[in-house]
Amino acid sequence: MTIDPARSDAASSRGRGIALELGDAAFGYDGTAQVERLTLEVPEGSAVALIGPNGSGKSTLLRGVLGLAELTAGTVRVLGEAPDRARRRIGSLPQADARDASLPLSLRQVVTMGLYRSRGPIRPIGRQGRLAVTAALERVGLGAYAARRFGELSGGQQQRGILARALVSDPELLLLDEPFNGLDRENRDVLLQLVRDLQVEGRTIIVSTHDLEIAQEACTHVLLLASGHHPHQPGHPAAFGSVADALTLDAVQHAFQDTTVELDSHTVTTTRETE
Amino acid sequence: MTSFAVLAVSLADVAGAGSAQLAQLAHSQLSPIGHLAQPGLLEIFTLPFMWRALLTVGVLALAAGVIGLFISFRELEFVSDGLVHSVFPGLVVGAMIGGSAGLLPGAVVAAILAALLFTLIEHRGGVGADAAIAVVLTGLFSLGVVLVSRQEGYVSQLQELLFGRLLTVTQTQLWQIVVVAVVALAIVALTWRAQLFRAFDSAGAEAAGFRLLGADLALGVAVALLVVAGVQALGVLMVIALLTVPMAASRLVTRRFPLLIPIAILLPLATGIAGLWLSFEWSVAGGATVSPGAVVVLLLVGAYLVAALARLAAGALARRRAGAGTTVGNSGASSPTAAPAACAPEAAPHPGDADGSSAPSDGGGSRGAR
Repeated sequence: MTIDPARSDAASSRGRGIALELGDAAFGYDGTAQVERLTLEVPEGSAVALIGPNGSGKSTLLRGVLGLAELTAGTVRVLGEAPDRARRRIGSLPQADARDASLPLSLRQVVTMGLYRSRGPIRPIGRQGRLAVTAALERVGLGAYAARRFGELSGGQQQRGILARALVSDPELLLLDEPFNGLDRENRDVLLQLVRDLQVEGRTIIVSTHDLEIAQEACTHVLLLASGHHPHQPGHPAAFGSVADALTLDAVQHAFQDTTVELDSHTVTTTRETE
Repeated sequence: MTSFAVLAVSLADVAGAGSAQLAQLAHSQLSPIGHLAQPGLLEIFTLPFMWRALLTVGVLALAAGVIGLFISFRELEFVSDGLVHSVFPGLVVGAMIGGSAGLLPGAVVAAILAALLFTLIEHRGGVGADAAIAVVLTGLFSLGVVLVSRQEGYVSQLQELLFGRLLTVTQTQLWQIVVVAVVALAIVALTWRAQLFRAFDSAGAEAAGFRLLGADLALGVAVALLVVAGVQALGVLMVIALLTVPMAASRLVTRRFPLLIPIAILLPLATGIAGLWLSFEWSVAGGATVSPGAVVVLLLVGAYLVAALARLAAGALARRRAGAGTTVGNSGASSPTAAPAACAPEAAPHPGDADGSSAPSDGGGSRGAR
C-alpha cells in the first residue's frame, strides 16, 4: 500500500506531541472504576497495543478516551483536549457485536456514516464527501465492493469497512477495539498491514487485542492491563512502554495470571487454561 | 387482549351505525351525478367523505412508510403496540373532557408520555424491559376501558375508538392528522442520520458523538405521533398494522435500501384505495356494512402474506438451483444474516456486481419474515 505524500507531510507537521495523557486516571460507570491507576503518555504517531484478559478494562479505557466512560479519578487529555471535545478528531472501530449486519445497507452507506457527525443533521454529503468515501474504501482495499450489502461481506471485509468509516473523517487518533477477533489468518494479515501503514503515515493508534503477536508485528508500544485480584476490583496496568520493554515474561504473567505464557525472541503466545 | 376488546362490543354493532349513515350519505351525495347504480372508481372518490378518507390513507401511508423503516430496523414492533394501547386512555380522557375535539390532544399527551416512559425503560435495559412495557401497556389499556365504560352509551364510543372511522373523518380531523403526521416526519427527517447510524451500530454512533438516548426519545415521540395520526381513522386495534406491516412486507420484497420506503408507502396506499372502494361497494351497493378500517388492514395483511409466500418460493427456487450446481442469483432469497465468512471470497472480487450475486445462498431465508 502506497502512502499519500501529502499525508506524510501532514503527519510530520503534526509533530511529536502527546496524543493521550493520563494522570492516575480511573474509568468506569456509575461512579465505580473498571480500570484504574493509569499514568502514561502516548506519543503522537505511535501504535499502542492494549493487551489484557477479559475484565481488565480494555474497552472501558477506550470508551474513556472517547469521553463515553466516566472519569472516576485523575486526569485525561486527548490530543491536548478534553475527551468529548477531541472526539471529532478520533476514528473508532467498536467491537463487532454492537452491529446489526442484517440491515440492508450498502458498504458505501456504512462508510458514509463516518461523515454524518461533521455534516450535522441535514447538510448534504456532497461531492467532497462522496470522494472521501471512495478514497477511504480504496484505502482499505474495498473499492470494488462499495455497492455490496454490508451483511454479505466476509468478517474481514466488514472490519475493513468499519475501518474505512473511521478513516473517512481523516482522524488523528484511531481506537480499534478487538478488530482481529474472529478473523482467519489471511484477513488478519491484511488488517494488520493496514494498521502498520496507518501508523507509518503518522496517525496514533490504540488497538485492543488478546493477541500478543499483533503487538510485536504492528505496534510501537504496549499497555498491558491486569484484572483485579478479586472479581469486583478494577483492572490496572501491568506494564507500559515500548514493545521490547513492556512485553516481558514477568509483565505478561502478571497480566494473565491464570494462563501459561511462552516467550521467545520471535513470538509470544498465551495459552489460556480451560476454565 | 384483542379478544377481550372484541367481546366488549357486539360485532354487529361494529360497522353498523357508521356505515348505515354512510350509505345514506353516499346516496344523497351521489344522486346529482345520476350514476347511483354503478358509480365508477373515480366518481366514488369525488365524494367529499371518500376524498377525505383517501387523503387520510395517503398521509398515513407516507408517514408510516418513512417512520416504519426505523420501527423495523430497531425491532420496535412491541414497543409500538405498547404505545398504541397507551394512547387509548388518552383518547378516552380527551373525549371526556372535550368531546370529539378533545380526542387528539388527549391522544398526543398520552402518546408522548408513554413514548418517553418506554424509551427510558428500554434504556435501563435488563431482562425486565419487555415485561415492564407489557405491564404498562395492559395497565393503561384497562384503565381506558374502565374509564370509557363509566360513560353513557359507551359501547358506541368504545367501538369508534377501537375500530376507528375511516369514512367519517371530518375536515378538522383530516387537518389534525396532517399536522401530526408532518411533525412526526419532521422529527425523523431531522434525526435521520442519527437513527440510521444508531440502528446499524449503536457503539459506533455513540463513539461518533451521537446521543443514543436523544435519538431514541425522538424516534419514540415520532412513532407516538404516528399512532395518534392513525388511531382515529383505523382505531386502537388496527393502527399497529399501519406501523409495522408495510415495512415488514417491503423488506420481504426488496433488499435494496432505496426501494424500502417507496414500497412501504405504495403498499398501504394501494390497499387503502382498494379497501375504501370495497367498503363503499359493500356499504352502498351491497347494503352490507363493514368496518372500512378493517377491510384496509385485512388487504394490507393479505399483501404481506403474498410477499412472504413469494419470498419463500424464491428461496426454494434458489436452493434448488444451488443444489443443481449452477451459480446462484441472489434473488433476495438468502437470509439477511448471511454467514459472512462463507460469502464473497476475498480473493475474487466482482467489480460491478452490485447485488452480490456471487454470494451463495445460505439456505436461511426465514429471518426476513420476522
